[in-house]
Amino acid sequence: MIKLYLLLFYEFTKIGLFAIGGGYSTLPFLYYIQTKYQWFTIDELTNMIAVSNITPGPIGINMATYTGYTTAGIIGSLVSTSAIISIPFIISILMVKLIDKYKTCNAINSIFIGLRPAAVALLTSIGLKLLYKTAYPNTLDIKAIFLFLILILPFSFMKKNPLLIILAGAIGGIIINSF
Amino acid sequence: MKKASPFEIFKVFFIIGIQLLGGGYVIVPLMKKYIVEEHQWMKEDELIDYYAMSQCIPGIIAGNISVCAGYRAGGFIGAVAAILGLISTPFVTILILANILVNIVENPIIQNAFYGIRISVIILILITIKDLWGKSINSKFTYTLFLIILSSLLLLNISPAIIIVLSAITAFLYSRIRKGEKYD
Repeated sequence: MIKLYLLLFYEFTKIGLFAIGGGYSTLPFLYYIQTKYQWFTIDELTNMIAVSNITPGPIGINMATYTGYTTAGIIGSLVSTSAIISIPFIISILMVKLIDKYKTCNAINSIFIGLRPAAVALLTSIGLKLLYKTAYPNTLDIKAIFLFLILILPFSFMKKNPLLIILAGAIGGIIINSF
Repeated sequence: MKKASPFEIFKVFFIIGIQLLGGGYVIVPLMKKYIVEEHQWMKEDELIDYYAMSQCIPGIIAGNISVCAGYRAGGFIGAVAAILGLISTPFVTILILANILVNIVENPIIQNAFYGIRISVIILILITIKDLWGKSINSKFTYTLFLIILSSLLLLNISPAIIIVLSAITAFLYSRIRKGEKYD
């Protein structure tokens, strides 16, 4: 069990260190953890993403809490949550101390030009992999593809509203499976 | 700038944590209301500075900016109070929901609902990609980088950490070469 806590701490410290940007930047790491350790299933992971989106709090930290809990109970959730904020916590404080000296982040801006496409590519690969697994679990799932097309059309024109999208998916899932 | 007690800081961030729904940028208007206007722990332009910087450092943006504000308002203990206040409600909510979910997940209606929710999650991811696209991939260099990384991710199982480090190095070297071109 101690080994599991240490592994959790290690993996989530790594996420805290390398996930730069919004909460969705932690997704590729969680997906990677899933394939590496199988602490949870892909279905559980998508459930966690959904729940983290509709509960209060930063999505990235919510997902850390949830995966930690699923993997190793309450202590697991404490470990993963504190791990994901540990290094950013220290860096944030250093940043406040330095911010008057370096008003902008020009020095690291050039690096960000490369980090942003990397973040989008990571997210795109997850989106495509999940899409493939949903549309083609063992055989072609026509219902899933149908529901996907019905949902994506209106929502791609609207302002992003996670709560509404998840609610629509839940209702759609219940309706389409009752036929 | 006013100085605040750890308890006060915890309380303010606790209230922010309850209201924080959605992405990291949602925290900016909340902090403007409570930190800048109500408690005057920092000025508005400082908040914007911290927000910009929070995106440039590792970690979840909302967490980073809370630590910054807590530190400004009450030093190291203030920073601890801020992050604890921010995540306490979300933490408890997640644990409760996780427990409920484990117990009802066998229910066929719930299973059908999650069948649809899984598709919602994919749509959420795709919309996030769309939102990030314009400000991330807007030149030949970024487009090439995107295609190379995406194809290697689809073919191999590489750790995201390695991708991040390699892209940072590539972008740094690229900016050096570009600078060289300009001044030669």
